[in-house]
Amino acid sequence: MNRELLLKINAMSKSFGTTKAIKEVTVELYKGEVRALLGENGSGKSTLMNMVAGLLQPDAGSMELAGNAYAPKNVVEANRCGVNMIVQEMSTVEGLTVAENLFLGNEGEITRLGICNKPLMHAKAKEILHSFGLSDIDVDLDVGHFPFEQRKLIELAKAVYAHPQLLIIDETTTALSQNGRDKLYQVIRDMRGDGRTVIFISHDLSEVLQLADSITVFRDGSYIDTIGSVCATEDKLKSLMVGRELTGKYYREDYDGACTGEEVLRAQGVHCADSGLADISFALRKGEIMGIGGLTDSGMHELGQVLFGAQKVDSGEVKLTAAGKNIRTIRDAIGGGVAYVSKNRDEEALFTQDSINNNISIVSLRKFSKPLRLRPRAEREFTTKHANAMQVKMASIHQHVSALSGGNKQKVALAKWIGKDSDIYILDCPTRGIDVMVKASIYDLLSRLKEQGKSIILISEEILELIGMSDRILIIKNGRVSGELHRSRELSEEDVIQYMI
Amino acid sequence: MINKKKIASMILLLCVPAVVYFVFFMLQPARFGSVNSLFILFQQCLLPTVTACGYYFIITMGLFDFSIGSNIVLSSIVGGLLSIRFGYMGLFLGGIAVGALIGLINGLMFVKLRISSIIVTVGMMMLYECLGLFISGGGIFTLDKSVKLFGTAPYNVIVSILAMGLSYILIDHTRVGVYVKSIGSNESISRDMGIRVDKYKVVGFVICGLFAGIAGVLTISYSSSISPMLNMNSMERNFMPMMGCFVGMALKKYINPIIAIVIGEFTISLLINGLMTNGIDATLQKMVTGLFLLLIVGFTTRTSKARVVK
Repeated sequence: MNRELLLKINAMSKSFGTTKAIKEVTVELYKGEVRALLGENGSGKSTLMNMVAGLLQPDAGSMELAGNAYAPKNVVEANRCGVNMIVQEMSTVEGLTVAENLFLGNEGEITRLGICNKPLMHAKAKEILHSFGLSDIDVDLDVGHFPFEQRKLIELAKAVYAHPQLLIIDETTTALSQNGRDKLYQVIRDMRGDGRTVIFISHDLSEVLQLADSITVFRDGSYIDTIGSVCATEDKLKSLMVGRELTGKYYREDYDGACTGEEVLRAQGVHCADSGLADISFALRKGEIMGIGGLTDSGMHELGQVLFGAQKVDSGEVKLTAAGKNIRTIRDAIGGGVAYVSKNRDEEALFTQDSINNNISIVSLRKFSKPLRLRPRAEREFTTKHANAMQVKMASIHQHVSALSGGNKQKVALAKWIGKDSDIYILDCPTRGIDVMVKASIYDLLSRLKEQGKSIILISEEILELIGMSDRILIIKNGRVSGELHRSRELSEEDVIQYMI
Repeated sequence: MINKKKIASMILLLCVPAVVYFVFFMLQPARFGSVNSLFILFQQCLLPTVTACGYYFIITMGLFDFSIGSNIVLSSIVGGLLSIRFGYMGLFLGGIAVGALIGLINGLMFVKLRISSIIVTVGMMMLYECLGLFISGGGIFTLDKSVKLFGTAPYNVIVSILAMGLSYILIDHTRVGVYVKSIGSNESISRDMGIRVDKYKVVGFVICGLFAGIAGVLTISYSSSISPMLNMNSMERNFMPMMGCFVGMALKKYINPIIAIVIGEFTISLLINGLMTNGIDATLQKMVTGLFLLLIVGFTTRTSKARVVK
């Protein structure tokens, strides 16, 4: 087969602070090809694609598009060169109508002498959506009226309308129902039929095998291999993704029975309109790791905040069973031995512009305060002990947290609560953006905490992590508990996903 | 795009000033609310309304301009001085150009310094206030009789309506309007869409300043003289337009914000005027304005889900 080169990525690298997200990656893409990118979260797929789409600038390396040097400084430049991307997150703007969103950043064709031709815009918007089978969407309405899935499809329609040479689709399918997926698959097939190229990122291996012509696997920011989908199997892909050295112990290995410890925390009929939570009830036991999964906007992250007293509930209660006390405020929670590490580590879990020492001691200041002053030596000893126990890689305890890598920052955030000797840990995406080695050590820590009889609520967007670590998984969908799964060897990603969407 | 729902909310909104009017009229039928005094009130609230029509562009983006009052003073002084040689041409072009220039300077300072818009514009306000004093030579500046036409009805009303129309078109029918709304809603997505966020923030400040310039021209025409203000006294002129903008923001889902601003400003003027006719003196009136500011901003940002104030 005579394949024509479309995009060549040459030894590209990208770092965020001390974390190397992409290490000298070289990839070639051909016209009329559907290429899937595979890899665990944090393996660098999205980072690489963001650079191709002009959302990020590489630190080193170069690209060629259809034989010409290609270095988009922003999305507009990439679009002009025929490269469009649908990102994982929402990228329609609330407060603008559907029509305005469809032409956002690209008003040229509907603007004459600076004035937007609204009738023309509306007609064109309708036409775009109609050709996409979305005629039921009213283009005059604020895009905020529509649910996530519809908004994703609007984005897709917008990208297709731009008629790109290369369309990048970053993990969009999890947000879509079967109907939406079929639309997306049709787009992908049409583009291939046209001799254009699609790159898509997905965690759904069967989808990948079904759609892609070839599959490129990433691990820890490095290019591992590209294989044709004809000769690939799910098992082969998995072993490429995880790598041999990790096939041993990574997640927990015990599968022995249910957790029967005494109840430590109970949520009863929790309603919270602001976070979209409705009728959430469950009980957490001593020594239990309870996973909470769902789509990003399912309300699971807000649930973590509610359990910590950081968001007010409209009705229902969160109760510490042993003390018989309700958690209404953060002070109630901390006083009751509850710890919380936010998903937004740099903004909500750490003072990045302060020392490791001060970050770890902040919740435990009572331990070394005399009536009128702190005992700095006792504080230093305390923080050093806990930082070392967590194996934080640091120059000294006085180093600023901002200088640490993502994984080490997370260790500091955890050390703070372990130092406080908390009993219940609410961890929101504790391994987000963390490299594999630190990830493994955090999983190990969770297992040890469990053995010590601590209880953990593990909120995670990584299904494999939920399956691998939890005694029990609650799935949240649209603010309600949609399913509960118990630990077993047989549990598969599909089992979890079916409750999520 | 007028549909039934929008007409219904417009009628509902028009009921608000009507109710306010009715309440005060019942309380003081003799002193409040003659057609004549209502018209004077209406003309007075044209000034903050025109200002708000520009201010809205930056408030939408979560930014503030505390130099608006000093901008109005400075642009009216310069416009007035130029009118001596160039007549109406000098008055209008001079005032508006100075207003827009001040907006441009504010915008550039904000984008380059990367500090809160409140600090930038308070700092610049002190500069503009002093500049006004130097330019006017220290005393009250009086506009010549020959160029006072736009201080009287219907000419002041016509200019104001033209300004509102301009704002309406800018908000609803131009790229600037869409980008400003988009940046206000989500800055990072807007950036990813290829919108040059900093550029449009500066553009927002320029529009804001330009409308302050128009308000400056109307101000000096209406009161026929203007005295330079010092010691942050000009800041008081910010609050009426600011309140109107927040009303506009809160109601933008139901009605065009410019219409909401006009009705909002008029309602607030009615309220304050009504309280005054019921015996509240000028000092107390300032307290009332302050309270209104807090109430309106607090209430409207709550309804629009608190993403407004940065």
